[in-house]
Amino acid sequence: MLLVSALVLLACTWRPGIAARPASEPPAFDAALVQQGARVAALGLCANCHTARPGAPFAGGFKVATPFGAVYSTNITPDRATGIGTWTQAAFVRAMRDGVARDGSHLYPAFPYDHYTRLAPADIDALYAFMMTRTAIHAPAHANDLIFPLGFRPLLAGWKLLFLDHAPVPVNTAQTVEWNRGAYIAASMGHCAACHSPRNALGAVDRKDFLGGGEAEGWYVPALNGKSPSPVAWNRDSLTAYLRSGIAPAHAMAGGPMQAVTASLGAADPADVRALATYIVSLMGKPAPAIEQRALDAAHRPVALAAAPGGTDAAARQLQLGQRVYADACARCHASGRTPGSGGALQLPAAIAVYDPDPRSLIRIVRDGIAPGPAEPGRWMPGFAGILTSEQISALAAYLRHSAARQAPWNDLEKRVAAAEKDDRQ
Amino acid sequence: MSQISLTINGRAHSVDTDPDTPLLYVLRDDLHLNGAKFGCGLGQCGACTVIVGGNAVLSCLIPVSTIGTRPVTTIEGLGTAARPGVVQQAFIDEQAAQCGYCIAGMIMRAEALLQHDPAPADDVIRSQMALNLCRCGTHMRILRAVRRASDKLKGRA
Repeated sequence: MLLVSALVLLACTWRPGIAARPASEPPAFDAALVQQGARVAALGLCANCHTARPGAPFAGGFKVATPFGAVYSTNITPDRATGIGTWTQAAFVRAMRDGVARDGSHLYPAFPYDHYTRLAPADIDALYAFMMTRTAIHAPAHANDLIFPLGFRPLLAGWKLLFLDHAPVPVNTAQTVEWNRGAYIAASMGHCAACHSPRNALGAVDRKDFLGGGEAEGWYVPALNGKSPSPVAWNRDSLTAYLRSGIAPAHAMAGGPMQAVTASLGAADPADVRALATYIVSLMGKPAPAIEQRALDAAHRPVALAAAPGGTDAAARQLQLGQRVYADACARCHASGRTPGSGGALQLPAAIAVYDPDPRSLIRIVRDGIAPGPAEPGRWMPGFAGILTSEQISALAAYLRHSAARQAPWNDLEKRVAAAEKDDRQ
Repeated sequence: MSQISLTINGRAHSVDTDPDTPLLYVLRDDLHLNGAKFGCGLGQCGACTVIVGGNAVLSCLIPVSTIGTRPVTTIEGLGTAARPGVVQQAFIDEQAAQCGYCIAGMIMRAEALLQHDPAPADDVIRSQMALNLCRCGTHMRILRAVRRASDKLKGRA
């Protein structure tokens, strides 16, 4: 009986293969459709995960670390042997909407089809036209490295039953056409929630806390809803500039995984990015007026950070060490109380990372710095991993939390600093 | 000004300087260890690379006050003209220098890499050395020199 039930369950997970597109019938696409597909691909950040080497765009091999192990992106160039050259349009649509490969196997949701379910059919068709007209590259898939028993793909059918939502993004008639365009981009191709929302124990995006803050590659990913930690209110212009260039002057510099996002959005249609910004800004709450005023004051007229408190207890001594590290290693550019340097480094009372609910992003920025990618606008902070010890980085973060943000201390600071150091050793 | 103690190439030094002075300035101006070069002063070029506590570090960025007891090694600590160290000899054998301004930094970054991993893969050498720039364009020879030093060190292990 058990065996029968198991077999029935397994049968429910079965998906048919779709016949290969014959090599004798090369697909032909209208140039305008390909161009529309390029817009979708830029907003969808496809290249970010599907490109591991700049010389081999869309050939896959990029490692996506998850709590369940590592998944490697696959080759989505039209190579017939190792890419999607044999995929018909129907097979491509099924992969995007249902997370099933042409051969019928279930795909892991590291490929964010749980967002692409909401793509309009016309956008999927355009994306197919774009992908099938890329240069074919021979690049076999890298084997995944997942914890037991997740290598068994039929399990994914259950995950999908629980978490896939095929309903189109609802239109809010009280809002403008631009706002609705932004809402559609954010929820579907943009898959913002993949990083900016928390996930549940099964790794699915928590829909009850949409854009309520998440994580990616060891960074805290800021909330974009009412819980946004930004000390300065974003507006449509500042967020559009940030999303297109990675820079919002005097407010934010994209770092870490967000850099690849802004690089891709810089190549997207500016009107689409503006729509996205319009929508996101409408979700974010307003910072407390006192915090915003202080941040704006600091951003435009450097003010000295408050001194660490006196005293000889461990907490006070840590803040005093942090103040010395800040003065000796950071102040020459971050310039509180000094004339802003030519690099225009952020004034830290205006920097978002010191207001985050946990210190992961601040630690990553201190350790890694920020370097512009190829052809990106210049913004530069050197990494201080190796220069500062873990004790010094913890103290610096504690001091910035105390004196730049004036927020309650992070209580997991040392643990987070040690974790970042361990990640870098691996 | 304050009195700061440093251990450099195995020798104890004490210098009287501002705590935020970059290590590079102390090395060159106070201790006359001129191997590490001033390139950009912004942590962007790698010409000033030295080893602090086992890590390759940009000495133009590290304030002397933060070094503490961590030992500092500069290129002067690897060998002499008469008796070059393994990595230095590999750079000579590959004739990896053109103008040579970047080479002390290159050698120190390679030294730190090989101390951690005597047999790095080629892509690891490339990614680790990527922080150091050579305007003459001898990068291919530099990569070969690191590979040569690695082969020598592996032979010893």
